[in-house]
Amino acid sequence: MTAVVGFGSFMAIVFPSIADRRFWLLLPLLPLWAVVVAALAWQMLRWPPIAYRFTSYLVDDAGLEIARGVYWRTVTNIPKSRIQHTDVSQGPLERRHGLGTLVVYTAGTQHSQVKLPGLEFATAQRIRAHLLPRDQGDAV
Amino acid sequence: MPSEHRLHPTSILFALAGSSKALLLPAVLLLLTGRSSPDPDGWNPAGWVNRALPGDVAIANWQFWLLLFLIPVTVASLFKYFSFRLRYEGTELVIRSGVIFRNERHVPYARIQNLDAVRNLGHRLFGVAEVRVETGGGQTPEATISVLHETVFEEMRRRVFEGRGRAADGEPVAAPAAASLGVPEAESKTLLYLPVRELLLNGLLHNRGMVLVAAAASVVWEAGLFNAVSSRLAVGVFRPGLVRDTVRPLVAGDVLTFLLRVGVLFVGIMLILAFIRVLSMAWSVIRLHEFRLTRVGEDLRTEYGLLTRVTATIPLKRVQSLTVWETPLQRLVKRQAVRVETAGGPGTPQQGGAKQPREWLAPIIHRDAVPALVREILPGFELDGRDWQPLHPRAFRRAVKPMALLGIALPAPLLYWLGWAGLLIMPLTVGWLALVAWMHVRHTQWAADGDTLVLRSGWLWREVVVVPVAKIQVVGRVESPFDRRAAMGGVRVDTAGSASPAHRISIRYLARDVAAALHERLASQTAQTAFRW
Repeated sequence: MTAVVGFGSFMAIVFPSIADRRFWLLLPLLPLWAVVVAALAWQMLRWPPIAYRFTSYLVDDAGLEIARGVYWRTVTNIPKSRIQHTDVSQGPLERRHGLGTLVVYTAGTQHSQVKLPGLEFATAQRIRAHLLPRDQGDAV
Repeated sequence: MPSEHRLHPTSILFALAGSSKALLLPAVLLLLTGRSSPDPDGWNPAGWVNRALPGDVAIANWQFWLLLFLIPVTVASLFKYFSFRLRYEGTELVIRSGVIFRNERHVPYARIQNLDAVRNLGHRLFGVAEVRVETGGGQTPEATISVLHETVFEEMRRRVFEGRGRAADGEPVAAPAAASLGVPEAESKTLLYLPVRELLLNGLLHNRGMVLVAAAASVVWEAGLFNAVSSRLAVGVFRPGLVRDTVRPLVAGDVLTFLLRVGVLFVGIMLILAFIRVLSMAWSVIRLHEFRLTRVGEDLRTEYGLLTRVTATIPLKRVQSLTVWETPLQRLVKRQAVRVETAGGPGTPQQGGAKQPREWLAPIIHRDAVPALVREILPGFELDGRDWQPLHPRAFRRAVKPMALLGIALPAPLLYWLGWAGLLIMPLTVGWLALVAWMHVRHTQWAADGDTLVLRSGWLWREVVVVPVAKIQVVGRVESPFDRRAAMGGVRVDTAGSASPAHRISIRYLARDVAAALHERLASQTAQTAFRW
């Protein structure tokens, strides 16, 4: 990932000056490129733990509540009676680490799909079993 | 024994007409620009066919292309006509069609959101209708049946909505044919009827004429006739050099002639604008002729249209949210407009003309009649006298900042043309937008008492959005970094079918604890109510 970002930014920032044979531009641009790559790398390494700290969920009898976001913090609340169906999916990376993603489908339009990635696979299945309606006539 | 219905024979005719509508413009162009006799040297498929045909028969190029398109369409519609079968089962509608690719579609009555019939002049001539069945989700109707006889549609409507009622109760359905014939039509009550005067007023207020003019101009442009038409129109007053000729007398010192010319110009422009308004009024009358909103049992039915008659059915239980809309012009004449959203609606309001007006329960209605109408749609809900809550007291300080930035950014291109004089405009735009922000914040109020969430907003263009708690799907709370700094928050509510922004409820600039409390309250209320399609 760092290699891709590094190469891409190199092409964007430094390469035009080389292509135009204006080598004197390299003097300020190379350090600039180094700074950009360093900042991006730092961001990529430091961001996931921060985002992880700010992501949480709560499952109870009423439904599922997901709190997410570092800068733009959102709390999304899905009542159990509004869940149409659920998915537990695993990509290849997730399978290797024993993780899964819980996807909850509702009848809404903006939140027709609510995803909760990074759950342990067994936990995701347990939550799914809890959220599915067992009795057809729920409380009014 | 459920009987099977088939398509009306004229469906073939309408399929041909429908496909030729797509081919009309290219065919016209071909006719106008093509040569009437086949050119033996050029690329000439008609010539090849002519060589193959025996005798003296010779077809022109355009005839060849026409046949090439018409024959497959005719064959396809013949297949569809012969293979289509419609059946009413106990809890669902079964539609079978197709010869090569056979398809059997089951649509449960309980899932049908809307049942519409569209009849243009051709349909009315033959006494048929194009029926559209919509279920929740998806942007297109689940079944567009073209065409069924009118009586078949009436029976379908009756059976579907009775079957829905019976399916919801869970009773076993025995002998549906006999029972549905015996049940009388539920009592109907006219909620709104728009006479021609109201329709004219509607056209005057909405100025659809500009849209018509723009559409006509684009058609003329596409046909390549724009230059011809514009040179024909630019006679008399509106000719090139108009401004120069108008200003010349002023420069020469002849003020009277200048004023006269300006006067003539002014009158000319006014006449054109008036003509566009008249177009808009005529359009409104034609589009919404004999607009009638009735309540039949548990459904709302709207019927309108002079040339194309549309009959739309909206079950009351399917109403997800209700919007009352008021433009400044409407406010002048004490009118408002009421719209509802169902889950089976189109994706965006701009898609197709026939779909958009269906959601307008009342395109124009007197302000005093609105509470009664709303009470019919949402029983027990009073539009007035709610416990209105304002926004955060410092909401204006937050709201004015993006508006001020916009006020500075918008006239920025003018600086390029006017130079430093453009800077004079900025205080005006910033001041105006700040005023808009102030009035907007002052006019935004919400109420979450009882079992609905209501948001009232807007200064010039006002709207009131009502969402029953039973129809809320997901409740969300949002805090941007600016919100956190000002200790504010926002609450967002998602409903089914709220693709158009007018029907979403998003309350920003609330105090943080108020937002949290509202979020909790809505979440627990929603969890306790069941959601029924």
